[in-house]
Order: sequence, then structure tokens, then C-alpha cells
Amino acid sequence: MGALAIKNVTKRFGDTHILKGIDIHIDAGQFLILVGPSGCGKSTLMNIIAGLEAPTSGEVQIGERVVNDVAPKDRDIAMVFQSYALYPTMNVRQNIAFGMETRGVPRKEQEETITRVSKMLQIDHLLDRKPGQLSGGQRQRVAMGRALARNPTLFLFDEPLSNLDAKLRVEMRTEIKQLHHRLKTTIVYVTHDQIEAMTLGDRIAVMKDGVIQQFGSPEEIYERPANLFVAGFIGSPSMNFIDCHLAEQGGDVGISLQSEGGVRFVPLLDGRRFADRLGQKVILGVRPEQIEVAEEGEPALECKVHLTEPTGPDTMIFTQINGKEVIARVHPRAAGRPGDSMRLKLDVRKVVLFDPQTEARLN
Amino acid sequence: MHDQNKLWRIALYGVLLYAAVYYLLPLYVMVTTSVKSMDEIRAGNLIALPMSITFDAWTKAWATACTGVDCNGLSGYFWNSVKMVIPAVLISTSLGALNGYVLSKWRFKGSELTFALILFGVFIPFQVVLLPMAQTLGWFGLARSVAGLIFVHVVFGIASTTLFFRNYYVGIPDELIKAARLDGAGFWRIFFKVVLPMSTPIVMVVLIWQFTQIWNDFLFGVVFSSGDSQPITVGLNNLANTSTSVKEYNVDMAAAIIAALPTIVVYVLAGKYFVRGLTAGAVKG
Repeated sequence: MGALAIKNVTKRFGDTHILKGIDIHIDAGQFLILVGPSGCGKSTLMNIIAGLEAPTSGEVQIGERVVNDVAPKDRDIAMVFQSYALYPTMNVRQNIAFGMETRGVPRKEQEETITRVSKMLQIDHLLDRKPGQLSGGQRQRVAMGRALARNPTLFLFDEPLSNLDAKLRVEMRTEIKQLHHRLKTTIVYVTHDQIEAMTLGDRIAVMKDGVIQQFGSPEEIYERPANLFVAGFIGSPSMNFIDCHLAEQGGDVGISLQSEGGVRFVPLLDGRRFADRLGQKVILGVRPEQIEVAEEGEPALECKVHLTEPTGPDTMIFTQINGKEVIARVHPRAAGRPGDSMRLKLDVRKVVLFDPQTEARLN
Repeated sequence: MHDQNKLWRIALYGVLLYAAVYYLLPLYVMVTTSVKSMDEIRAGNLIALPMSITFDAWTKAWATACTGVDCNGLSGYFWNSVKMVIPAVLISTSLGALNGYVLSKWRFKGSELTFALILFGVFIPFQVVLLPMAQTLGWFGLARSVAGLIFVHVVFGIASTTLFFRNYYVGIPDELIKAARLDGAGFWRIFFKVVLPMSTPIVMVVLIWQFTQIWNDFLFGVVFSSGDSQPITVGLNNLANTSTSVKEYNVDMAAAIIAALPTIVVYVLAGKYFVRGLTAGAVKG
């Protein structure tokens, strides 16, 4: 069953096009992430789903119902805001109860809901406190509690973790994921953080300049990015982009890589597909972990280590290929020291190619 | 070094003391003069403490002093002012709160222009509108009545009360309003349940501001009222200007204190909110 369908939605303020034809369909129970840099239109899209803003054209469907003309309160949604938006003069209990009171839920049922929700989020000892007396993490929980009390068909989260410190952010991220597993309610989640996007989402919509660049599962987006922007936006450290030319050698189509230690021809899998582009410029996209340390005797590229960044489990090696700085993620024990030379190879099964003009993926 | 510091301290306190005395002296003279008898005033010196305290001047100022032809003291004027100031303050404050709420949280096409036009009202000199306002009051049948004065003060108060509330409400995050809308609350419920409870500091500021403005107003009072609808500022003026054989300084002083007392009381009772409210916009809620 479809839980949310956004059909060719546009939004314009005067001559400024915020959204240029957005199409998204997700099924009930899915966790949809809207991710992109600031100004990409993700928050506007969220507000349109919530009914806080009206689209210039297009259609929003929640469940089986077109909700373009339905007031926010009647859309059966609940929202968690970046600033939490707790009512400062009410205590936690009143904050959670406010929506139910407005809807005329009987007092007994209100009490039950408050008990259930506050237990679930472990805020039952805070019910009589005002938001000002709570820590950031506790406020976050109360904001979620207020949304849970609604028991909606659709949850909207608008950058809910960006006001928390790093440690708490990771903890709350896990909690939100657990909550989703337990409740199985459809969630739309806006973030600019690609790690949140990857860890939480069932479906990710990567947005830029009011256009969805790619819509797919986290794996698809990570492994097969639709274009240079998506490839560079998702993943940390970013994917390496290496300018090279398609060439033919011994019947194989491949690319030639030049490091400070030598030149190597790397045949591409399925390279014959690019036979018509021989001699043309392409951009090779390779993630840091797809550059590996070559075994003894294996063909490899001699690379000079410029800098190392140990992160603990991995060490980032900064080197140079085809005149571009390239980062390789290797095991700490295999990492050379700055000034050393390392024998590196590409995992050709996973590398991607982009057209330098259109920036779209080629393979 | 230490001695120099001490010297600075002494100089500082000296200046502060001087400033305090400078400002308190008139009040001291008013109070002491108001409880002296006329004989003592004539014989004694201005800043001497009273030899014996008498409240005759106060009772006279309140009940029997002549304000023109009538000799009923200030009491009638005082109650006129009370009857004028309470509704005028409450109405102008309520309207200001509502205006501010709409202009900051329910913007519409032209709301900025509306605000700019309302703001204009803050800068209009009162004298400019005396004649048109007299005409308007005449049309409404409110000329020379307390109700007319209330109307004038409300109309003139709205500009500043709107300004105060609007600027305070701009500081309330819009997400709070969005959250309340998603919770199903409408215009009024959001106003009364969410926004108004957050407004205590600014309500206090506006109440004190409006009370002081309206209570102390003389121009509108003297122009738009007459006889038994005149406010206390006009009464005080009449009392001080009514020439009898002798100038009764003690009665004048007592009358002036009576006229000023309510604003002083309001400021003492709610003054802490005033300072807090003026700076409240800067602090997160």
C-alpha cells in the first residue's frame, strides 16, 4: 500500500523556483530520507507534506487520500521539529496532552497515552518539568513523545538531531531507528547529514537545487550514484574523482593512471561498452575503501604517501593520481608513513565512471 | 595601586550620591512641604524637616480645595482618571497583543505595509490630530465624556502597543506556531494557550507604559473633556491655577503627589518586569 505519494510537486516564490517537479512514492512502513545541502528545498518539501505550505502545482497523497486541500491537523501526521518547538510555558505532560486536548480526546484516554508514550521514551520521571529544565536530549524525547501521542499514519522529522552534540546525536539516531522498527509507521526524515541518511533510510531522496538527483535505497545510492553530485555528497571521506582518458590496450578498454611512482593501465570490467568513447575524457569515481593495498606480485601503482590520517580502525592515505589528490582507506598496519611509497590497486568491480559534461554516471 | 583604587571608589560613590540627592531633593521638598502647615512654610526654610506633621493639606487637596468654581478637591478627577485609565490600558494592550500576534505570526499580503502604517502613529505629534479628533468624537457622540477619552487613548495607544508586542513576538520561533497548528490548534487557541502565556514580560512592559502615558496625559484631557469628565492632570492644573488670596504650597504639593502616586505605585509593584521585559527578546525561551 502506498503511504505517501508526491506527484510533480513544484513550489515557486515569485521567480525563485524552490522545487522543480518532485516525484516520490513510498510504501507504508518505509523510512524516507530527504537529504541535501541547505537550500536544496528539502524543508520546503517537508512543509508541503505537512500542509504548512501549499505547493504551486502538483499533488500530495497521504495513504489513499489527496491532501492538497486538507488542513495540517486533519492529515493524520505528526512532526518533530529541529528546535523541538516545545511549548515553553507548559510542562512535559501538558506538552504531550495539548494536541489530544485540542482534538477532544477523553481525559482518561489522554492519561493512558501519556503513560504509554512517556514509558516508551523513558521520560516518565520528567512529566512535571518545564522544557527549560530539560537537557537537549530530553527535549528531543519529549518532542518525539508529543508526536507519538498522536499515533499518526505518517511521522515527519525535520532535522531532529542537528541541535544535539555529537555523542547524543549518534545515540538518538539509534533510538529513532529502534522506534521505527517497533512502530513500523511511515517516516519522512529531513537531514543534511549523509551519515544519518545512510544509517536510517529505507529510501533516500538526494536533493539539490529543487530537483531530486537520485531516489533509491542506501545501497543503490552509495554503490551506484546517479551523478557526480550524489557520488560526492554521500560517503565520508568523499569519493575520489580522477580525470582520465579512455584508452585501449591489448584489446581491453580501460584507463591509464599516473602516480608519482609510475604509470599503469587499468582495464575496466565490461570495458567494451565504452569502445565508442575511446580517447575521450571521463571522470573515474572511486571510494577511498575501493583503493586497496596490492598483494606481493600483484600488478599495482606505486604511490607516494603525502599524509596519513589514522582514525583508529582505518588509516586514510593521501596521495596523488593523475594530478589529483586521492584518499585511500587502508588497514592501519598496511599504512605507510608520509614519504613512503605504497603499492595500491583499484577494486575495478566497484569503480564508477562519469561524463565530465553531463556529470551523469556512465557504467 | 591599592590607594588609587580606593580613591576611585570614593570619587565614584561621591558622584552617585550627588546624583541621587539631586533627583530625590524635589521629591523630598514635595513630601515635607505637603505635611507642613502654611505658617511653618512661611517662616521656615524650604528644605528643613517639618516641626510638626499635619495631613490637613492632603485632606484639603483630596476633598475641599478649589479647582475653579467648584471646591471639591481632586477626588472627582482622580476617579475620572481611574475610570479612564483602566479600560483604556486594558483595551489598547489587548488590541496591541492581537495586532502583534497577527503581524508577526499570521503574515498576509501587505502585513508589513500595515505594520509600517501603524508604526507611523508612534511618530505623529498629538497636536496635529486635535481638531480632526474633536470632530470624530462629535460624530460618535463621545465628546466631553470619559468614554471619549478612553477612545482617544486606545486609538493612540495601539501604535506603541502593537510595536511592543510585534517585536516581542518576532522572537518567538515560528516552529512553535507550526507545532500548534499540527496539534490542531487554530488562531485563537494558539494565541491564548501558547503565545499569551509566554507574554508576561511584554504584557507588563506595555501595561506600565500605557498606564503611565494615559495617566499622565494632559493635552487630550484638557481638550476632549470638560466639567465632570476631566482627568486628574487637568484637575491638578486647575487647582494650582485657581487664585485665592494666598498660595497654599502645602496643598499644591499634596495634590501633585496624589496625581503622581498611582504611576509610582505601578512602577514599584511591576518595575522589575519592566526592565526584564525590555531585554526579554534577547533571551531564548
